[in-house]
Amino acid sequence: MTRTYRWALSLVLLAVVLVMISPILWLVSSSLKSSAEMASFPPTWWPSQPRFANYTEAITSVNFLGAAQNSLTIAFISTTLTTLSSAWVGFGFARLTAPGKKQLFVVLLATMMLPGIVTLVPTYLIFAKLHMVNTYWPWVAWGLGGSAFLIFLFRQFFAGIPREMEEAAIIDGCGYVGIFWRIFLPQSWPVIAASVILSFTHAWGDFVGPAMFLSQDSTTLAVAMATGYVNDKGLPLNNLVAAGAVMYVLPVLILFLFMQRRFVSGFSTSGIK
Amino acid sequence: MERPDRKKKPPTLRKARTFYLFVAPWVLGFIGLTVFPLGYAFWLSLTDSDGLSPRTHFVGFQNYIDIFHDPLTLSSLAKTGMFALVTVPLSILAGLLLAVMVNQPIRARGLYRALIYLPAVVPPVGAALTFRLIFDRDAGAANGILSTFGANPITWLVDPNARYVLYALVLWGCGGSMIISLAGLQDIPRELLEAAQVDGASYWQSFTRITIPLLSPVILFQVITGMIGSLQSFAPLLLSSGSLSGAGAVPQGNYLYMIHVFAQYFSASRFGYASAMLWLLFAVILLVTLLIIKVSARTVFYTVEPEGAK
Repeated sequence: MTRTYRWALSLVLLAVVLVMISPILWLVSSSLKSSAEMASFPPTWWPSQPRFANYTEAITSVNFLGAAQNSLTIAFISTTLTTLSSAWVGFGFARLTAPGKKQLFVVLLATMMLPGIVTLVPTYLIFAKLHMVNTYWPWVAWGLGGSAFLIFLFRQFFAGIPREMEEAAIIDGCGYVGIFWRIFLPQSWPVIAASVILSFTHAWGDFVGPAMFLSQDSTTLAVAMATGYVNDKGLPLNNLVAAGAVMYVLPVLILFLFMQRRFVSGFSTSGIK
Repeated sequence: MERPDRKKKPPTLRKARTFYLFVAPWVLGFIGLTVFPLGYAFWLSLTDSDGLSPRTHFVGFQNYIDIFHDPLTLSSLAKTGMFALVTVPLSILAGLLLAVMVNQPIRARGLYRALIYLPAVVPPVGAALTFRLIFDRDAGAANGILSTFGANPITWLVDPNARYVLYALVLWGCGGSMIISLAGLQDIPRELLEAAQVDGASYWQSFTRITIPLLSPVILFQVITGMIGSLQSFAPLLLSSGSLSGAGAVPQGNYLYMIHVFAQYFSASRFGYASAMLWLLFAVILLVTLLIIKVSARTVFYTVEPEGAK
């Protein structure tokens, strides 16, 4: 590869990066504008006087902290339960045999192709009948059921651990629950990390679930941000919307920047290998 | 030879029982949270339920017949198909092109990868709000750019322009596709490409004859998941009102099928009809998936047997 070619490629990529990042920069810029600056046309590229008060107003004018707490609670419930349950089931598929296992595994893989939103609406109707709407029980149920994709990830990892390990444990009188808990789970931290990151970002970003299952007072940040911040005429207060959105998006971006490799390994193995 | 037999049998039986103990959470979850809800929706789709009145009547397939006489439902289905046909190939192509570029040996390519992928991890609500701000008529950057060139501002978020905002929003996340294609590219054995080079193949030849065939399972995977995702997309709802019952605020050009389903459930309370709509979508998605797999069977190249066939 020649030098000019390399330079040209870097230049093109630099332009792509600028295009990809500019929406986030615009969001930050908007979040620091006064409402007067927000209303003027043409828009300014960067606020003449950054107005940090937008952030405090974004927190106080809607129940930001309450919604953030709900988001965290739901994210915590689904992350812990989904990860544990998926590891548990993945262990079963990797290390144990029984009639019907092959068929079950095919079903597991097939469920990854089921349309999730389509099944979500009738699930809501059932939970409504059971009076479990506006509680966290649906997330407990989803968490315990595990995620097909994460089960698959754990299964692939556990299948690669040498058999001698579990044989030694069996000779020492350890049951399969003990083998899972004491030997396999502690070794699988790379998958656990990927699982935690994927389930956390999914729960934090989910809109339909909380929009359907939770009332306006007990909802999550995703829903609060999508509908909040309007003036008394019902028009959106765009600078507050931006400030709220920055605070809502930031935790995920920070998690991404620090745990990049886990993010990538989690997504890129998406059922291909 | 009685002893080994007797000794062998109980452990396998116990192993089988242990297996079922381990997979039980997923099996129960699958039955309770997927199979049963879908069955319940099917039963509802055969009734005139409105979700409130205790009395519902069995109406047979009337709701399904109604769907085909409802121009709004049919047009929303057509728009959804159009949306999928535009965004899925574009995202995959853009992702593949970017993957090839960031796979070259250039400086700081890790940084390029991370920053191009970054938008894909932004939560959907955050992304939609960001695009609402960029394409705002007065305060948006898009019209700001237009005005520096002396052009008149455009009202982006209404018909007929709203669809381009939607496409842009989806394409902003093409870094996700890039990462998947990149992983596929990195799995291609280097010897193959080197051998082709030694044999005098041009870059384009080895790309079309080696890289693309070896990448085809990865592309197929993206086509399938992309189609499933976009056929049930409700992103325009986030771009306009941000509420499940706010279908009225969605521009006609972006009135996708799932938005109509939400409107039927949460605004019109037509539970029976909405459930029939869900089942139709379910059938369409299943059919499209099977069709893609069938059509691709001849063109997709597997170096190893796909999982599950083992």
